[in-house]
Amino acid sequence: MGTVITIDVYPGLAATPGQRAGLSGQIQRACDLLHRADEVFSTWREDSPVSRLRRGEISAADTPAEVADVIAACEAARELSRGWFDPWAMPGGFDPTGYVKGWAAQRALAALASADGISGAMVNAAGDIASSGRMPTGQPFRIGIADPAAPRRLAEIVELTGAVATSGSYERGPHLIDPRSGLAGARAASATVTGPDLGLADALATGLAVAGPDGLAFVEAVEGYAGLTIGLDGTRQSTPGFPFALR
Amino acid sequence: MKRAPIVIAGTVVGLIGVLKFHTAPVSLASPAGSALPAASASGASPAASGSSQGGKASGASAGSASQQSGAGRSAVGPSVYYDYGTLSVRVTVSGHRIVKVALASLDDGSNARSQFIDQQSIPMLEQEVLQAQSANIQGVSGASYTSAGFAQSLQGALHSLGFA
Repeated sequence: MGTVITIDVYPGLAATPGQRAGLSGQIQRACDLLHRADEVFSTWREDSPVSRLRRGEISAADTPAEVADVIAACEAARELSRGWFDPWAMPGGFDPTGYVKGWAAQRALAALASADGISGAMVNAAGDIASSGRMPTGQPFRIGIADPAAPRRLAEIVELTGAVATSGSYERGPHLIDPRSGLAGARAASATVTGPDLGLADALATGLAVAGPDGLAFVEAVEGYAGLTIGLDGTRQSTPGFPFALR
Repeated sequence: MKRAPIVIAGTVVGLIGVLKFHTAPVSLASPAGSALPAASASGASPAASGSSQGGKASGASAGSASQQSGAGRSAVGPSVYYDYGTLSVRVTVSGHRIVKVALASLDDGSNARSQFIDQQSIPMLEQEVLQAQSANIQGVSGASYTSAGFAQSLQGALHSLGFA
């Protein structure tokens, strides 16, 4: 199964034709980074370095340099989430997917954010979004949070500065693994985390969906990050800094 | 125990960059009150005319051409593979607003599960597009995967209209 990644680039109102033309190259670079991440980290491709690592055919030392970076980041995320996000507790062995999708999108964004003449850019990896800048009008990006009880509706709207990730079981059935039991389980219908980096936001959102509202404490403790949970009964709870926008 | 689908679905696998150049704040520049296509087109066109040339999309100014007609212009996006088969999407725009989104073709292999999922998800996706527009947002965060092929074909259709 694939993931569609959408790249949005907003040229500034004063962007020159040359700057606009140059954006294709920047977007291509961002796409190249995403394809590279897929080749290295895919748990679907049997020959990817991470698949071989999972089967024990190679050690971490034999993998490309970015694998070590991701492993270190996963350890940090496990720590920050107080164990609720744990790629080492996945059935089938170490699986960094919960971090990698956001990490890759964030790297792709970095390849775009330096482009001349843009007011803002967004990389949306199937509902997990990394962004920089603003709309050409100067307004911040606004992102809807899908309502887990009716995903065609929006539960909330956030004003985005940086990244937003949402985890939940509502669209694909129970699939979040509770690292403490190794079994499927989630204490929130949906969990959203905002913050500067999409990799960490994604990992924290995964942990928060499993932990439920009690997990908001670990999100709040991470500087620059905020969280929102929507319970199975629709109850919403959030950290004090959550960037709600007016509807 | 079976592997968790998040492991599967979360993978950055076979990804497709769906590229959008926003030549104007098309997404949703119009205030909530401007449900009438003509009103929203005139509201957004100053920005559009300044920036409609260049970029990959060829001109949001097309919106101003269609505002008189009222009926809008429509296009069918590419036929796209998704999890259960192939589909394509037809979109109708008027001014700077999407006024209608519908499935133009669907081949889901006619098996019961695919049909069930499609019956559930496709009306929802059509609705989602229109709702996103009225909420003045630039994206949706959520655990949504069935929408991938739909979004891709929609994007293609919008591109062919010079809309997004």
